[in-house]
Amino acid sequence: MAPSTKKHGAGNACIIPGGFAVLSLKFSAESDTQHKLYVKEHRVRVEAKTHRPLDKTLFVLNVPPYCSQAVVSQIFSRFGAVVSVELSDRPGTASVPEIKLSNIFKPAEKQGFKVAYIVFRKAKSIQLAKSHPHNFPLVISTEKQPVTTGLQKWAEQYRKSIILPEKLQETVDAFMTDYDLRKEEKEKKQEEEAEEQKEDEEGWVKVTRGNKGTKARPHSEAANQKSLQKEIRKKKRKELLNFYTWQHRNTQKEHIADLRKKFEEDKQRISLLRAQRKFRPY
Amino acid sequence: MLFLFFLQMIPSDLSQAKEDGNGVPANAKRSKPEDQGEQDAVLRPVKLSRTELYKPPTVEELNQLKEAESLFHCSLLKMQMEELLKEVALSERRKKQIDSFVKTVTEALQSVPSFPKVELGDLSWLAGSVKVPFIMMPAENAGKFQMAPPASVDLIGSYPLGTCIKPRITVDLAVTIPAEVLQTKDDMNQRYPRKRALYLAGLAQHLSSSAEIGSMRYSCLHGNRLRPLLLLTPSGKESSNFTVRLHACLPPGYFKPSRFHPQRNNIRTKWYTESPEPPTPHYNSSVLGDMLPRAHLQFLSAVSSQCPAFAEGVALIKVWLRQRELDQGAGCFNGFLASMTLAYLLSKHRVNNNMTAYQLLRNTLHFLATTDLTETAITLARKPDSTAPSLPEFQDAFQVVFVDPSGHLNLCAEMTECTYKQVQHEASLSMQFWDDATVNGFHALLMTPKPLERTSDHIFQLLELVKLQASCKKLKLLSELMDHSGNYVRTMLPYILSLLQQGLGQRILLLTHSLSPDPEWTVEAEPPKHKAQPPLSFGLILRPDYAASVLERGPPADSPKAAEFRKLWGPRSELRRFQDGAITEAVLWTGESACEKRLVPRQIVNHLLQLHADIPESCVRYVGAMMDDVIQMKESLKVVQSYDDLSRKLWRLEGLPLSVTAVQGAHPALRYTQVFPPKPLKLDYSFFGKEKSSRSLLPKEGKPCPVYIEPITVVCHMEGSGKWPHDRVAIRHLKAAFHLSLGELLTKEHSYTCRPCPTHLDVWKEGYAFRVHVAYHREPQVLRESVGPDGLLVVRDNEAAQALELATVHRPLLTSTLHGLQQQHPCFGAVCRLAKRWLGAQLLSDDIREDAADLLVASLFLHPAPFTAPSSPQVGFLRFLRLLSSFDWRNNPLVVNLNSNDSGWLAPPRNDFVAGRDSLPVMFIATPSDKKLSLWTKREPSVQMMQRAVMLAAESLKVLEPQLKDGTQIQDVKVAMRPPLDAYDVLIHLLPKQVPLLKQAVDPPLVVFSRGTEAGKAGTPGGAMPVIDYNPVALYLSELRDSFGDLALFFCDPYGGTVIAVLWKPKAFKPVPFKVSADAGEQAHSVPNVEAIVEDFSVMGKDLVRSVEARTERWSV
Repeated sequence: MAPSTKKHGAGNACIIPGGFAVLSLKFSAESDTQHKLYVKEHRVRVEAKTHRPLDKTLFVLNVPPYCSQAVVSQIFSRFGAVVSVELSDRPGTASVPEIKLSNIFKPAEKQGFKVAYIVFRKAKSIQLAKSHPHNFPLVISTEKQPVTTGLQKWAEQYRKSIILPEKLQETVDAFMTDYDLRKEEKEKKQEEEAEEQKEDEEGWVKVTRGNKGTKARPHSEAANQKSLQKEIRKKKRKELLNFYTWQHRNTQKEHIADLRKKFEEDKQRISLLRAQRKFRPY
Repeated sequence: MLFLFFLQMIPSDLSQAKEDGNGVPANAKRSKPEDQGEQDAVLRPVKLSRTELYKPPTVEELNQLKEAESLFHCSLLKMQMEELLKEVALSERRKKQIDSFVKTVTEALQSVPSFPKVELGDLSWLAGSVKVPFIMMPAENAGKFQMAPPASVDLIGSYPLGTCIKPRITVDLAVTIPAEVLQTKDDMNQRYPRKRALYLAGLAQHLSSSAEIGSMRYSCLHGNRLRPLLLLTPSGKESSNFTVRLHACLPPGYFKPSRFHPQRNNIRTKWYTESPEPPTPHYNSSVLGDMLPRAHLQFLSAVSSQCPAFAEGVALIKVWLRQRELDQGAGCFNGFLASMTLAYLLSKHRVNNNMTAYQLLRNTLHFLATTDLTETAITLARKPDSTAPSLPEFQDAFQVVFVDPSGHLNLCAEMTECTYKQVQHEASLSMQFWDDATVNGFHALLMTPKPLERTSDHIFQLLELVKLQASCKKLKLLSELMDHSGNYVRTMLPYILSLLQQGLGQRILLLTHSLSPDPEWTVEAEPPKHKAQPPLSFGLILRPDYAASVLERGPPADSPKAAEFRKLWGPRSELRRFQDGAITEAVLWTGESACEKRLVPRQIVNHLLQLHADIPESCVRYVGAMMDDVIQMKESLKVVQSYDDLSRKLWRLEGLPLSVTAVQGAHPALRYTQVFPPKPLKLDYSFFGKEKSSRSLLPKEGKPCPVYIEPITVVCHMEGSGKWPHDRVAIRHLKAAFHLSLGELLTKEHSYTCRPCPTHLDVWKEGYAFRVHVAYHREPQVLRESVGPDGLLVVRDNEAAQALELATVHRPLLTSTLHGLQQQHPCFGAVCRLAKRWLGAQLLSDDIREDAADLLVASLFLHPAPFTAPSSPQVGFLRFLRLLSSFDWRNNPLVVNLNSNDSGWLAPPRNDFVAGRDSLPVMFIATPSDKKLSLWTKREPSVQMMQRAVMLAAESLKVLEPQLKDGTQIQDVKVAMRPPLDAYDVLIHLLPKQVPLLKQAVDPPLVVFSRGTEAGKAGTPGGAMPVIDYNPVALYLSELRDSFGDLALFFCDPYGGTVIAVLWKPKAFKPVPFKVSADAGEQAHSVPNVEAIVEDFSVMGKDLVRSVEARTERWSV
């Protein structure tokens, strides 16, 4: 496909500063207006080994809200076979959840403009995409593969939101068995650690580098705070108040300072109200 | 037409508060220059240096601080009073002006030429266009008159006493008529009043040649046509600054005061009409009043010279009276009476001479609140002479009695009982909230105006006062009419009032009436007729417990009182047998729904006026339910019953692994405040598509959007147990499991249709949809906990936990609290619904959310000062608008004390509030359970939207209040509910067919779409699950906001609005540096592609959007 575009003189790829290539996009063949997609090869070394391989990933900005994963993959498949499409709200590393959740329990996705990471099978596809002339818009909704929006889409969404109780039950059960298993494992591990730290018959304790285990309770911030408060209270109880003359004098001083402060505050409020002409009863 | 503001042009009072995510930072930048000027309009925490705080105090300072601490609640109140007094006192410059003008007038008056003696009826000497300010009815009157220079001209009244206050400065000048003008027996048959009027006309004629006098008008003292006045204003630009009132007076002691005994007759009936001689107390006191002003002035100056704070105390009382509209008009409680009351208290040692103005005001109000002058008369006369009438004699003749120092004159002669009762009511109300820490006492006491339409629950007006003339005849009030010298309005008023008081009885707390203002007319015009005054307005403050009762139960048929009852009610009274076996007289009014019942007082008023005073219904303009049709008043009692039933059934479910500990409602419908409470529905199954496997209905393509069924949220708390996992994801799954088993059990035992989801369980029951959320009380805690890298358990607040807490703890609590409030105040729900309907109609309901609006309304009921809690939706709504528009949101938190028994918690938030103002929500509502966060207004409104709400509320008030007050205006409250759309950049018009709530629109369309409901009673349990919570408009809006929320604001009336209004944010089209790290949507639009966005509006709302109207002229890219 790419060679054919080179024929047109005006059909040059548009590269803007930052190394992004601009692709135009329109909703359907009849649309008058176009969105701009900004594409660039994804080059983050840290992520090279993950699901975003270094040379085969295309980073796309400004994907309109009505483009789902399937739609994006469909559009970009003209540049070569697409392995996966990942849509997210903002660029950055994708957080991979520890536990795999079923679709039902995933929180609802935010709609809106998104970024996409498209992984092609071949590195060549990226260059093809980048050199696509910007005055040949890509089309989202074709007759062959229409994209539903509006009423139709919401009705569809509503239909999908109905979950069969049996299926829900199944999912919950599966998760809970898995959870129980994991929990058991964890407990076992902790027990083993505790076992290791117990005195043996001769009174020896084996000291290891690792986690202190169950013996030391998982300490929390709140508990730390509480003990600190307790200390302070204890100290306070021992103190005598208004015993020495200087203490008495100090309290009085504080009292007057307090009144003064309040007086100042009130004065400020009054001047504010006066400025706002709040004292005119008419 | 309401004004609109543009986001681009916000007065920056509030805009510096904060720049939240939704706000528009660029705007704040633009308005910076003005900001500098307004910096002081914001309270800043006070910073005093250490040396300043701890320096040794002087004695003076100590005294001052002590005084503030002991005498006033705080120094603030003291300073406020001082400021107020400064504001109302006359400046020295003004006093000089007045003095010099009075001097000129006096000089001019001294040079009045004499005229020869003529017959009283002969007006030939009165050349020029000056007319006599008197209605000469009957015309013939014997006697001689002669114009002569005045015997003396003296200042009287408030100005020489120093109790004169701004605004409406009036200086009273007494012109003593020389003795040679008068004859003995002049007091008879209106001869003296006529002479006085002639004399005034003579003065007017003379003064009209004077250049210093700007304008001359006639008026009369307190609306009493017997006592005309001449009003003079200086010429030039000072003309509006003050008015000099000329009173023509008798020489002191010209007549013997005993001749004006209230039981004596001074108008011979033969002269007026033909019949025996009744006493003429009102006429007598009006003549007598002319002899005494100088004596009164002397008396008051003697008193005030003893008491240094006298003038200031009177000034405060006058301000207080003025705010309550009691100080002007016929039969008012004027400043002179206030001075006299204070003098009485001083003479009785109820207050002492060293008190401050603040204490004087307080004691006077206490006295007024506790003393009923209609029952016990008081007198200032120390040793009345033997000819003076006794107090009982005064009480026979007048409704309110307060005798002057001479012992002959009743100062309250013209006052009606109702007016005094109103004074008393106001005083006791003021005493109640004075000490209440939750109320801004000073503001409520002296700064808040209380016009009739905002004070009274119901208002009605008598439109054609001329009808009262006939009523006088019907009630045979001829002698009274004579006493009032033909003023039939004044004659009838006490009778109408007592009639209504009798008829309304228990239903009302207070009956008030407007005081007809003093008429004013130019010297060239004839005096206006009695009927030529604005319509009389009456206000009712209702007792919520009795006001709406349809039955008026009278005495038993055989008791002597029965005849009286029958007389009062006429043919409406009938004998009825009651369940307890008693047979009594009774009147039954019509009224089915609560909204009709609320109008029972109207039926009573109309019936009584028609029956006894011949005033037809067409002359009574009753304003009691002008808002009702906007929200199609229907009560939501059935939902609550259905919910109660569900909650019981949930409690009783057996076979759950953990038991249910609490079921709480968390939806406005369950506290009676939902704008359109849900109705039980019966569905037409053929209208919908079907999902076979789950037995659910689906919206069908090509049909209108199905009826919107709003799920009613119910929170079901499950027992805590060790079995609950300590992991957020696991808890979610477990909750889903509970939803499943709850649904299963409900279906099995009660055969309700249920649909479990991971987040909730939908139950279709008796035509209502309930959405049950299972809650575990430790879940928020679990959400907050996380294990740090060093194994330390950290508790950090986060949004998810807050949202969950809001939904499962705070909202149910609020719902039950407000439900309780509704039980105390039956119209609370209706006010909430009106308020929220208005917010919705003005496209504000996404900024002031339902819960916040309910809290605002609750504050009107919990802290009504200086009013009483509203008892009709209309007055509540007006006060809601007033609260929104006049509260100082910038500097004060709105305190809503939901559990009224405990008010000790209020002091501390104040200081925190000032210190942390910039980081706190714009609209801050503090409740006992939420003192520092303002949970319900945390996110919205933004500064700009708050400003807009304030402005719209003020404009709506401006439209609505005149409709109540002015009888000639058409009542159309919908004017205030039609939002102006010309300030928006893009309008998205929706297809009415696909707007499910179309019927609720302010102006409901004529076309009605079938939405899959059938008439008839909501059916049996079971059946397919209907389409719940499917509203394309809401879905579309949320999609729009998600996609373009950073570029534009979207507004829509949730109750049947067919237009979505779009406003670009001011910075939306500024080129933004192209950065990847910024928010994805924004950075891509280095300059947003407007055409594409506008096309996206229609793409995203396919089949729902009718047209997108882009007003390109309003913006430029």
